[in-house]
Amino acid sequence: MRTTTAAALASLTALTLALAGCGDSGGSGGSGGDGGNAVAKGGAKSLTFWVMKGTNPDASKFYAVAKKEFKKQTGATLNIQEVEWADAHDRLVRSFAGGGGPDVSEIGTTWTPEFAAAGGLADITKQVTSSGMGKDELKALKDSATYDGKQYGVGWYAGVRGIVYRKDIFKKDGVKVPTNWAELEQAVKTLKAKEPKMAAMPIAGGSSYASAPFIWGAGGAFATKDGDKWKGALDSKESQAGLKFYTDLALKDGSSTTAASTWKETDLLDAFAKNKAAMVIQGNWTPKTAIEQNPDLKNKIGAFAIPGKNGGVAPAFLGGSNLSVMQTSKKKDLAWKFVQMMTTGDLAKKWADQTGYLPTTKTALTPYAESSDKLVAPFATAMLKGGRNVPSAPQWGTVEGNKTITAMLQSILTGTSVESATKKASAAIESTLNAKS
Amino acid sequence: MPSSKSRPWLLLAGPLIVIAGLLLYPIVRVTVLSFQRYNLREVISGHPVGIGFDNYKQIFSGAPGLPASYLWKTILPNTVGFAVLAVTLTVVLGTLVALLLVTLGPKVRALVIGSALVAWALPAVTGTYVWVWIFDPDSGVARHVLQGVGLLGPEGHNWFTDRNSFYAIALLNVVHHSYPFVAITIFAGLLTVPTELHEAAKIDGASAWRRFWSITVPLLRPVFAVVTILSTIWDFKVFTQIYLMPGGDGVNPDVFNLGVWSYISSINQTKYGLGSAIAVLLTLVLLVITLVYLRVLFKEEEDL
Repeated sequence: MRTTTAAALASLTALTLALAGCGDSGGSGGSGGDGGNAVAKGGAKSLTFWVMKGTNPDASKFYAVAKKEFKKQTGATLNIQEVEWADAHDRLVRSFAGGGGPDVSEIGTTWTPEFAAAGGLADITKQVTSSGMGKDELKALKDSATYDGKQYGVGWYAGVRGIVYRKDIFKKDGVKVPTNWAELEQAVKTLKAKEPKMAAMPIAGGSSYASAPFIWGAGGAFATKDGDKWKGALDSKESQAGLKFYTDLALKDGSSTTAASTWKETDLLDAFAKNKAAMVIQGNWTPKTAIEQNPDLKNKIGAFAIPGKNGGVAPAFLGGSNLSVMQTSKKKDLAWKFVQMMTTGDLAKKWADQTGYLPTTKTALTPYAESSDKLVAPFATAMLKGGRNVPSAPQWGTVEGNKTITAMLQSILTGTSVESATKKASAAIESTLNAKS
Repeated sequence: MPSSKSRPWLLLAGPLIVIAGLLLYPIVRVTVLSFQRYNLREVISGHPVGIGFDNYKQIFSGAPGLPASYLWKTILPNTVGFAVLAVTLTVVLGTLVALLLVTLGPKVRALVIGSALVAWALPAVTGTYVWVWIFDPDSGVARHVLQGVGLLGPEGHNWFTDRNSFYAIALLNVVHHSYPFVAITIFAGLLTVPTELHEAAKIDGASAWRRFWSITVPLLRPVFAVVTILSTIWDFKVFTQIYLMPGGDGVNPDVFNLGVWSYISSINQTKYGLGSAIAVLLTLVLLVITLVYLRVLFKEEEDL
């Protein structure tokens, strides 16, 4: 009997411990910080800047230049902190709740409306207008930083997805760079027949923005705005046709592999670098990374913009980042000066060149589109001609968080019909975008 | 005497304060949050909005973007069904291994315990990646083996997209990870069973099966109760093993369980209120189950 009581007590203790475990999964964000900004060392003027880090190469050289230049122009110290893309959203939210956030932060274009609507970013419409900046900023980027007619960020850099392919394989098998969808499908068929060890073009279930050119290219959309209300548009005839073409490359023409239905974009790049894929849809900043991973690929890879249905260039998702001044910053003037410095002139170009991203204004982008570098020009062209943004709604961030689009792609790739998968996704997007935040 | 009455509390004060800080505060905070709207806007303004039972209503009748029957058709089967299977398999396998250990010589026994401990000591993250790798649809061991014996076509199969096969893999992972603890605990219990009892029963002609149910199980009841309660709690709130599998991080809502749903609602979607409400629900479900267990345990104690 005594042992039984002891056992019961032991289990009670275990229960409390176990409950503690689930308690902290639910509510973070409750930690009370000091509410202040990052305080400068030694009391001198300083500014904290968060940069997102992901697949881009090491940028420490650029940071050194930026710090020096900032000191020279303003006399203030610049603190640069790198934040992983994967944690960035969460860390920004936490800094809003607990303080200790930056004065200026890089904000992903698809997050900008969400943070702006929630009151986290400073309205910089006046500064942008009076400085004459942003006049020839790419429309898709400007839209991404605009909420309710006001501007909450300035485009810092941008990127676009295109098709990265194996030049050597194309040449060996007599495949030409496709210029419309029929040719793309034909290229897939030829590669499938001639390269049994390679996937012709893996279709990743976890890469939502790779599907965008096909949805838009067929005349479809993610959602359309009707007055005050958003309407889900993935189940329109056009969107469905585009998605059907895209997924049929995998399902009918066998361009993909079984595992790819749960792949993410990084898995595509891995497969490509390991000689397991002939074509992959990738961002313009990734060919460098592929060559870094597999030096043998040097001079063997090329890139082309995703072709339009009947020729030309398909609209592609224009991703990138804005620089925003945080509402919590106590040095908004200094912060704005820094934003100006980073997005115009010499520093902007240096950043684009070092990281392999592209600049955000038409004037700055044109030389890239006319460049002779075959790994740059196709992407710059795609940006100038076909750069498009997702619906500029504050709740789009939630659609991304819900992974609605990738869930839809994955379900189509594993056997759900395009009709029922798009219907479900479209309804989900519609209710999310119209929900009160 | 007041001084001797207060002394135990004085001695307990340290641990109690720590427990209050680490346990009570979070529990209270999460419970309060579960009755509030605490999305991005409220996080930034610092003013949560009380909304009564709205978060709970969303759990039971469909959050935006999810079907109304989501809790009943997806979340609960994934949580409860999985826990029932995992606990049963873990305890059965653990008991079998414990019984095996008793019959082994010291050297082989050390070897078996050692290899089981490796599985136990493996961090959940590592273990999960090992199982994901084994079942990799393109190059995993499972594909090669199944194709070798002709059970799988040349195109292969992605086991992570279907809910049942997804959870079958998770089950292998969780059982493999948690049976050693059960085995070693029960083995320790088995060593305390007086051998005379078994010898006497043997003389009376009882079979091994009969001896197990009539001698071992009644004597080890408290041990079984502890491992079952612990396993139930662990398997109910399994998170890492689900979240790290392809699709478990939010792409495939069909495979969420309560813990993953809570995390995704709060962290991915910045709906801390909803996420907290889900966490409270998980806590309540666990409390009820544990209370039922404890009741059964004490009742039997009275009956003895």
